[in-house]
Amino acid sequence: MPGSTDPRFAALDPCVHCGFCLPACPTYLATGDEADSPRGRIVLMRALERGEIGAADPALTQHIDACLGCRGCEPACPSGVGYGQGLEAAREILAERRGIAPAARAILTVFSNRLFWRTLLTAAGWFRATGLPARWASGTRLGFGMGMLASTRRHRVPRSFPGFHMPHSAPTVALFRGCVMDTVFRHVNEATRRVLEANGYRVVDINGQGCCGALHEHAGDRKGAESLARQNVKAFGGRANYIVVNSAGCGALLKQYGHLLGTRDGEHFGSRVRDVSELLAAKGPRQGGPLPLDVVYDAPCHLQHAQKVQAEPLAVLNAIPGLRLRLLPGSDKCCGSAGIYSTLHPDMARAVLDDKIRGIAAASPAPRVVTTGNPGCHMHIGAGLRAAGLHATVLHPVELLDESYRVGGLYSRQQ
Amino acid sequence: MIDGMLARLREIVGASGVERDPSGLPRVVPDSTEAMARLFALAHGRNWRARIEGQGTWLSSDAPADFAVSTRGLDRVVSVSPADLVATVDAGVAMGTLRRRLADDGMWLAIDPPGRPERSIGSIVAAGTAGPLRQGFGPVRDHVLGLSVVTGDGRVVRAGGRVVKNVAGYDLGKLQIGGFGGFGVITELNLRLRALPRADQTLIARASRDHLTSVGRDLTEARLALQALELFSPAIAAEPDWILAARIMGTEDGVAAEARRLTSASSLLWQQLPVERASSFWHLSARAVLGGAVTLRLGVLQPGLDDSLDMLAATLDEGLITAGAGSAGGIRWSGEARIDALRALRRTAASREIPMTLERAPWAIRQQLGHFGAYREGVGALVSRLRETFDPGLLLSVALEGDGDAR
Amino acid sequence: MKESLLTGLAAIVGPRWVRHRRAELATYTMDGLPTHESWPGVVVIPGSRHELIDVMKALHASKTPFVARGAGTGLSGGALAEGNAVLVALTRLNHILSVDPASRRAVVEPGVVNARLSEAVLPYGLQYVPDPSSQTACTIGGNVAENAGGPHCLKAGVTTNHVTDLEIILPDGSLARLGSTHGDAWGPDLVGLFVGSEGMFGIACSITVRLEPIPPAVRTMLADFPGIRAASEAVSAIIASGIVPAALEMMDQSCVQAVEASIYAAGYPTDAAAVLLVELDGQPEGVAAEHAVVEPLLRAHGARHVLTAESAADRARLWQGRKKAFGAMGRIAPDLVVQDAVVPRSALPDVLDRISEIRDRYALHISNVFHAGDGNLHPNISFDRRNLELASRVREASREIMTVCVAAGGSITGEHGVGNDKLDYMPLIFDAETLGAMQATRRVFDPGERANPGKVVPIHACREWCASPAARGNGRQQHGSLAEVAHD
Repeated sequence: MPGSTDPRFAALDPCVHCGFCLPACPTYLATGDEADSPRGRIVLMRALERGEIGAADPALTQHIDACLGCRGCEPACPSGVGYGQGLEAAREILAERRGIAPAARAILTVFSNRLFWRTLLTAAGWFRATGLPARWASGTRLGFGMGMLASTRRHRVPRSFPGFHMPHSAPTVALFRGCVMDTVFRHVNEATRRVLEANGYRVVDINGQGCCGALHEHAGDRKGAESLARQNVKAFGGRANYIVVNSAGCGALLKQYGHLLGTRDGEHFGSRVRDVSELLAAKGPRQGGPLPLDVVYDAPCHLQHAQKVQAEPLAVLNAIPGLRLRLLPGSDKCCGSAGIYSTLHPDMARAVLDDKIRGIAAASPAPRVVTTGNPGCHMHIGAGLRAAGLHATVLHPVELLDESYRVGGLYSRQQ
Repeated sequence: MIDGMLARLREIVGASGVERDPSGLPRVVPDSTEAMARLFALAHGRNWRARIEGQGTWLSSDAPADFAVSTRGLDRVVSVSPADLVATVDAGVAMGTLRRRLADDGMWLAIDPPGRPERSIGSIVAAGTAGPLRQGFGPVRDHVLGLSVVTGDGRVVRAGGRVVKNVAGYDLGKLQIGGFGGFGVITELNLRLRALPRADQTLIARASRDHLTSVGRDLTEARLALQALELFSPAIAAEPDWILAARIMGTEDGVAAEARRLTSASSLLWQQLPVERASSFWHLSARAVLGGAVTLRLGVLQPGLDDSLDMLAATLDEGLITAGAGSAGGIRWSGEARIDALRALRRTAASREIPMTLERAPWAIRQQLGHFGAYREGVGALVSRLRETFDPGLLLSVALEGDGDAR
Repeated sequence: MKESLLTGLAAIVGPRWVRHRRAELATYTMDGLPTHESWPGVVVIPGSRHELIDVMKALHASKTPFVARGAGTGLSGGALAEGNAVLVALTRLNHILSVDPASRRAVVEPGVVNARLSEAVLPYGLQYVPDPSSQTACTIGGNVAENAGGPHCLKAGVTTNHVTDLEIILPDGSLARLGSTHGDAWGPDLVGLFVGSEGMFGIACSITVRLEPIPPAVRTMLADFPGIRAASEAVSAIIASGIVPAALEMMDQSCVQAVEASIYAAGYPTDAAAVLLVELDGQPEGVAAEHAVVEPLLRAHGARHVLTAESAADRARLWQGRKKAFGAMGRIAPDLVVQDAVVPRSALPDVLDRISEIRDRYALHISNVFHAGDGNLHPNISFDRRNLELASRVREASREIMTVCVAAGGSITGEHGVGNDKLDYMPLIFDAETLGAMQATRRVFDPGERANPGKVVPIHACREWCASPAARGNGRQQHGSLAEVAHD
């Protein structure tokens, strides 16, 4: 490719058009259309950069918008093309010139305001408790939404635990509670706290934190993302050795706060962020009791590609005796959730997901649990399983470890 | 008239290059591709029909024509390059001669076609007749890197090259390999060679036909690396039983191990042939195919072998038969047969998606049956347009398709 | 005309799969050859065999030229369309139609990705052998069009040796079934003629391929050499020994360094002038015996180390590096010319010396990565096309390299095809009569010359095949000389 003039697109310069990225792209696999492939989108980004194609041209925007941003193409690229950086630049240009789509704008507004999302998601939690979403889950658009909500359901209520004795030297970690995780996935946050303490981390609470801003950033709403980031940096201050997050999508952006804000505070914040699996893997983690289950792991893109965290979740799951853990072909491929993507592009999101669901359905022995460490993937895959009439449950790896610890009696005695 | 014709022919190839065949037909023996091209340009201009002959050991020289042309004069082994594993040879060179010449350099051409050692390499390539070694080394087309051909109107086409990998331009050589001369006369070939193997072992076993084909299936399933695994009918082997022959080539250790694997993988009693006997076994079985006036082959894979052998026995006879018992498959039959029986066989075979190719037969049969027949959808039109392209006057006396032999 | 054609195509495949506005065509202006760009008139992406046939009929009715395209990974510009030509993308025809393990055959649609077929037949212990380096992305249909090769074609042959049966749609929309599933054919070898015709004879809509058992034993050796000449002499020595390795590949230092900087780093020594990858396969004893011959040969020719990978994971790592080498060239410079030429194997050492000399004379960055075992060279010239003076040096050097290879008795392309990239070199190896024969053969399949127009055969260099022999006169045909090669 001819070199770039706009420095934001310089990361695309090494592309020699070999096409090795095509089979790594979920949207290309779903459509077979090169315009929906990384190489095709790079051509479009270049045309946008040079002004050959306008930002309002749907022939361009539909394909840039249809990118999941999973960055699955980056590890497939022998030349190390920085696709994600190019995409970010292109989306920024698009957002500047044509604004953000009304549907996306509405969603982002909700997540910009703590009161809004808390009210909405808490209400969703109550609705879930009625059991109606589970009953109404199906393959239709509405039924799929019901399935997403139903799949957030917690499956076993652990008894209260006595708390672990912590030495003074124990590292302190501040839990980034998030928005979706703090409401419909509150039980995952609780499990996160328990398993961290069981592995010798002192977990502290931080008030005043909000949404991470990842949804805003993906949609090209950089200002919205910056504002939330500043709020979080301020809330966490310098407290705690680590900031732990159990949502891959949030973690990917939290680690990038320095880049986003361009401030030293942001840098200091980002450098302390860890995915929960990283902290656990660093400690082994401790073995729990046996869980004789057939489990498949599905790697969230924002964990494996954006954060390059690949082995750690497997280390967490391998600490569970008896767990029959498998990776299915394509378990490293995006599920199609991609933040608010599945809401804005439901057809493509479903087409991408279908491949994964087919793989799970064909797996023998049939998996009982699909485990993944990102709320978007969790709900999207969960709804897909329900739509396909499969009986597998989606759980966060931390939930499995937590259950293993409960079975193993780690929570029943004073440590 | 014939004197005028002889005079014109002598102008092109010299007096010594023109003779008369037993029936008195002028037979021209050009000694170069260029002479061949001039000959066919002349014939095309005069509308003379031509019969192509090689060493005269395979196809009977009986096609109707105004003159015959023999490739016997194209008899040079032009070059042998052991370092590149390539030889350039004239099409009239006899297989036996070529084999000896290559062995001098420690090389060989990994084909063992049916027929006598005198059979010309051009005939083997034009008829695409592979032998048992197709199991390990592929069909004849896999051994030809390039070739020169003179078309029916005297043009010289030089297809392919002298290197093992080449995709420059369309692969025109493929049309000539197994084209039975319907698209021109092959005059020169670039052949892919191999170094002579360090070890070469032949083992044979005797049993009933069904037993041997089922052993063939087992050995294929067990993925043995055999260069040949051929079934011979009692008539071919001149023995009371059917024979399964395996040929293994490679390094000494590798061959010994594979032979052990062969003997332990099946319940048969395998007999290892000493070098001399192995060589004469393969030569004799190649010649035995000439035992009948008609030779044909069926394109059939191993799972269909039993059924096809039954079909052959029911339609023709269970006389001279060789069959690939390994994954390559293929059946060759030789004998005497009436046209309607052969036609019935082709029809039955076609209904099972099995192509029947007439390799050699008297003209009367070739003419009515054609080397090929029962073309699949769309192929007939393509073949006739290709013939018009490479032989615009349709002056090459070759019966690719028979009369009224539609599928 | 165009409006009615668009309406017609949209009626067949649905409006979503017909593209005609400029922005919609942008992603289809290039294939894997990064230096060529051309704009198709329309892109149509049929979703089924039936739709494809109807599209072909509509194109025939309107006498519209067309170009078939798979994944667009070709390296000769073969999948580029220009002017009013319609680009027919076959990526949605990506179904494996059947697998017959007993007969070792699979039937696939043209858009099936090469590596996917091998994955699908793995449970039967079988594989589809031709493995172009782009196999994770390229399609079988494209492999058939280009007669694609790959590292493992040294022993097992290229695409044409593995295709038995083709259902093709001729440019007039009619069907023809070439070859036969059962080994032998029903007639002349039209499959052999079609494979490698670069999309100019029609479109294959169903492809039957031969599958091979996965060899029980495999050993991959990595040997590193202090000099390129030593490495290429080792190659010649192995070939001369009578052993045919499954693969025999070479990479020079520049290439090794690019690969080692990439995500596909394979552990090749970056200080070596050249590395060889030698793979032996077959039965365990045979492989061991060949290993005992090959390893001393490598050392005798100056290999500093010979490392043997035994585990599947180690082998996969060694191969990943080799197969992604071309894609890693973007690390050196933004633009790339990938050459593809074949020379007789004995000429390898000399030809490589000449290429080094040309590189120095033109002050270029050339990385060599190639199939040494069959003499198939791939000099990669890295440059930046914004530097016009540099770009012209690249063109001159490319032409000189090609001349050297032809003079050594080689060919202008071993596996990438002629496309439009090598058109001007064709007269270097084929005389006017043979080029005329190619053109005439093409007209048998495509009398209207609408399929992939402007590729493979340089029309100006052909002798006309329609005229009568009398009209041809006695003019001697001549081989093309370099002077005749058109300048671009």
